[in-house]
Amino acid sequence: MRGGIKTFFAEQRYIGAILPLAIFGLWQASSSFGWVEPVFLPAPAKVVEAFWYMLTRQDLLRDIRASVFIIAQAFFYGALLGIGLGFAAGLSRRVELFFGGTINTLRHIPSVAWIPLVVVWLGLGAPAKIVVLAKSIFIPVFLNTLQAIRGVDHNFIELAQALKLSKWQLICRVIFPAILPVVMVTLRYSAGLSWALVVIAEGISGLEGLGFLIFRAQNLLMTDQLLVCMVLIGLIGYALDRLLYLAQRRLLRWQRGFGGSYA
Amino acid sequence: MLEVRGVTRRFGDFVALRDTNLFVGEGEFVAIVGASGCGKTTLLRLIAGLDQDYVGEIDLRGRRIVGTTLERGIVFQEPRLLPWLSLWENIAVALDNAPLSAAAKKEVIAAQIALVGLTGFEDAYPAALSGGMAQRAAIARALVGHPSILLLDEPLGALDAITRMRLQEELLRIWRHEGVSMILVTHDVEEAVFLSQKVVVMDSHPGHVTANIVVDLPAPRDRSSSDFGVLKREVFGALHDSSAVKPVEIEYLI
Repeated sequence: MRGGIKTFFAEQRYIGAILPLAIFGLWQASSSFGWVEPVFLPAPAKVVEAFWYMLTRQDLLRDIRASVFIIAQAFFYGALLGIGLGFAAGLSRRVELFFGGTINTLRHIPSVAWIPLVVVWLGLGAPAKIVVLAKSIFIPVFLNTLQAIRGVDHNFIELAQALKLSKWQLICRVIFPAILPVVMVTLRYSAGLSWALVVIAEGISGLEGLGFLIFRAQNLLMTDQLLVCMVLIGLIGYALDRLLYLAQRRLLRWQRGFGGSYA
Repeated sequence: MLEVRGVTRRFGDFVALRDTNLFVGEGEFVAIVGASGCGKTTLLRLIAGLDQDYVGEIDLRGRRIVGTTLERGIVFQEPRLLPWLSLWENIAVALDNAPLSAAAKKEVIAAQIALVGLTGFEDAYPAALSGGMAQRAAIARALVGHPSILLLDEPLGALDAITRMRLQEELLRIWRHEGVSMILVTHDVEEAVFLSQKVVVMDSHPGHVTANIVVDLPAPRDRSSSDFGVLKREVFGALHDSSAVKPVEIEYLI
């Protein structure tokens, strides 16, 4: 590393590290110099200690697994149903009219409001949360898929006609790739929202998972454990988005849009 | 080969085409010129089968046309390549339903790409192609199914003058090589005279054919020869006459 810190940060790929490092430094400083009471903000070292304790003594991995399992399943079902029904409605006015009103009404009931009822039906376990989260992913995916299909350039439909493509070929060759950019952004967006919702759902009702731990830590005033959960939730959410981002970049490599540098 | 007889197309009260006749012989190159709004694109879309709401008759080799077929290839004003497919895949789409083996398709596609001079760019996405290259790819896509007639809707209109001239030469070469009939819609009189064996002049309000001018110049044609100039003047004359007989429309008053 010639040139020290200045060249280190001049490299674009490290530029994203500046802000987290600064926040971490501030955090460390505030506990070292005693700016904040430890019960409100424990020192970083204490949090790492708590993390190790939770990992080795309290089976933290089980809770992480529980939360990730819920979001993964909910994402799978919600996305599948959203894209599937979105296509059905996008390709047929009849299906759109059949579902449109119902879905547009249901979507105004926030997911959190569904939790109590669904828990009564399905209990405190994972299934209730999967149902609520799948619904929260389904709605934006459905609406955006439908809207994106409505927005496909008519010229391409005409081209498909001229090339005598069947309806199935039209879907695979034209419509699906055309709407994929919108669908991918929606998937990323709703996955992020739903990950947040996992935490709330587990906090409201549940006996395991990161959301359960975070609310328990608050009740017991264990700020160090609370912070461990927060950091983990953030990191897992980030990893989830990265995964989808990489998938998106691979699927949309034909796109050549604005890359971000303009000079 | 292709016969258009007494075709009328209305859009509500607006008559886009009235009682239009057109004949294209086997392997003939026909150009249609006219001011915008004269119905030349409408006519081409009817021949392509993209629009079927007309009165009259359109026959290809004695059979009335119904809908689109691969027998009538079309090149649009813009290349209209699918941005998510590579150049190769864009051309291959046209053979999706062709009764050919995979190996045969591969061979035909490669030959077609070579014919339009795009060998080496098979894997490029449309965003990476220049306007001229993209339009060549569109021509290859229209030709790959071996149509008996190729419909060209101002395919060179959006290109710069130099690329345009080069592609005109290429079109002629392809026409000779493939022996396919061609109908070229254009608003460029020189292009029409340079490429075609017959120039059909159209006029608007409502769209109709006003003149058929035979271009019997030998190949290769010299744009600066006096015969070329005479024919150009004749087409311009036909365009001008048809607009001169109309009563003057007042566009605005000062």
